[in-house]
Amino acid sequence: MSLFQVNFREAFRSLWGARQRSLLALIGIVIGIGSVIGMVSIGTIVQQQALRQFKDMGIDIITIRKGMGEGRKTEFSLDLLERLPAADRNVLTIAPYVNSGTEYTQGRQKIFIEQMGVTASFFDLNKLHVQEGRAISELDQNRYFCVIGTELAAFLKGARSGPLLGSRISADDRVYTIVGVLDKTAEGGLRPYGINRAMIVPVTTALRAFSNAEIRTAMARVSPNIPFVQIKAEIQDYFRKKGGGMQAEVVSAEELIESMKKQMQMFSLLLGAIGSISLIVGGIGVMNVMLISVAERRSEIGLRRALGAQQGDIQSQFLIESVILCLTGGGIGIVFGIGTSYLFAYFSKWQFIMSYWSVALGVGVSTIVGVFCGFYPARTASRLDPIKALRS
Amino acid sequence: MNPLMLEISDIRKSYRVGPTELKVLKGINLTVERGELLAIIGPSGSGKSTLMHMLGLLEKPDTGSYAIDGTRVVYDNDRALSTLRNRKIGFVFQQYHLLPKLTALENVGVPLTYRGMKEAEIKRRCLEYLTKVDMQERVNHRPNEMSGGQQQRVAIARALVGSPAIVLADEPTGALDTKTGEEIMDLFQRLNREDGITMVIITHNPGLAEQCGRAVKIIDGMIYPG
Repeated sequence: MSLFQVNFREAFRSLWGARQRSLLALIGIVIGIGSVIGMVSIGTIVQQQALRQFKDMGIDIITIRKGMGEGRKTEFSLDLLERLPAADRNVLTIAPYVNSGTEYTQGRQKIFIEQMGVTASFFDLNKLHVQEGRAISELDQNRYFCVIGTELAAFLKGARSGPLLGSRISADDRVYTIVGVLDKTAEGGLRPYGINRAMIVPVTTALRAFSNAEIRTAMARVSPNIPFVQIKAEIQDYFRKKGGGMQAEVVSAEELIESMKKQMQMFSLLLGAIGSISLIVGGIGVMNVMLISVAERRSEIGLRRALGAQQGDIQSQFLIESVILCLTGGGIGIVFGIGTSYLFAYFSKWQFIMSYWSVALGVGVSTIVGVFCGFYPARTASRLDPIKALRS
Repeated sequence: MNPLMLEISDIRKSYRVGPTELKVLKGINLTVERGELLAIIGPSGSGKSTLMHMLGLLEKPDTGSYAIDGTRVVYDNDRALSTLRNRKIGFVFQQYHLLPKLTALENVGVPLTYRGMKEAEIKRRCLEYLTKVDMQERVNHRPNEMSGGQQQRVAIARALVGSPAIVLADEPTGALDTKTGEEIMDLFQRLNREDGITMVIITHNPGLAEQCGRAVKIIDGMIYPG
């Protein structure tokens, strides 16, 4: 035990003594372990995110989009969409919507607002909660009422006095009365983008008021027990027949998550490749540093052998040094990897999760690299002829 | 107790240098008694370094036998050989060979760490032997903070700390000035006289031999009485 402690202490001294060299050798290990940790950590975050979207929106939600196919310029009509549940009993609810955007100016400040025209079912399908006031209802058709997202509400509150509810907001020369404010809503999944900055009006109003208004998308809730492929075929069939050869794209939450996973796999593959190459290069770097260390300390090795060190003692001395070197690199790499995944989560507006498993993986891999790359130099050291080593 | 601390008989060693075989030791017979201070004198190239390595178990002879403190040396087991070096032999080198990053105390403790001894015990013994060589004031100094004579004293403490059967000194004063060299020789004599430590000093300097109890000469790979 004592010898281990002594070896440990001396390994630190020796590495510190050649710190410039040691640090350079670490770079490869840092990048390697960093990429591996980043990969695992981001994977965990994406997986959790996907699960959360499932839980949040429900797996029975789909999006129907107007197909980009050739042919006549056809439009999704409100009527055509709203009759879908009656025609296909596997479609339970449908929420067609229009979206557009405009810049809203108040004093000197500007905000880009998402304009959405929706039906009453839109709120339920998207799990939107009204914090204040009420949602858009069927009775609001053609009227200039709107429900706003939290960010837009905060923007408006910053510049005006008095209650928001009942006050007016004008966009593209139309004036709307605010009837509700939404709770803060998480982005992502099938939800339309920018809900928190949205001004939501009745769909009929939108079709009249928004520039460039056209229904391109609808969300729907479908029977959870029917295979998605079947529902997809039914819906596409409906539009082909009723809409005069119109094509519809149907996307489920599951499919979205699949594509997210695919994206993540590409990312993992890239990081994995970078990680493995860096680890190999880093490992060679460590081996090189250890070989130099052995060459520089030949006389020390000879002396230690003369004083009674076993071959195993010498071998473990250099192995410990190599492992410490790699663990140091691994430690820095873990910090880098976790940092990268934190930034990734931050910029994707996803929740960051610390993956303890990846930390264990980093420690494990760096130990293995240390042992693997330290083994040859350590063995060389232990096999040195004591006399020749002493003389050098 | 065997009165012979060291007993070698008919040891031969030759090296192959290119096509020719160079015979370095040509049948060496030598005994060292317990408590003896023996000088082995020889010019350079006489084979005295090889003999020293042979005595220190760092080199394997081609033929012949070697017994140290009653134990016959078996060469084909590195583990046993290392243990024997650690327990029975204390080395003192011309160039001191202290480890530069370690303090005097840590340097002295190196042989003991290979015995798996507890740190507190190592420290106690190191202090004891550093005091014996008058280096108690330099315990935490590193080699580059000490003079040559001081470094050699630390090296002697390191040779003694494991209570070896024999101390082997290879030109111990070779790198020192005359006065310091004499002080080191005085130290050797005192350790031999007071503590009964068996010592073999290998040197090319006949002056040193006179201060030892007995001297033998090595010339061209053969031992002759001094």
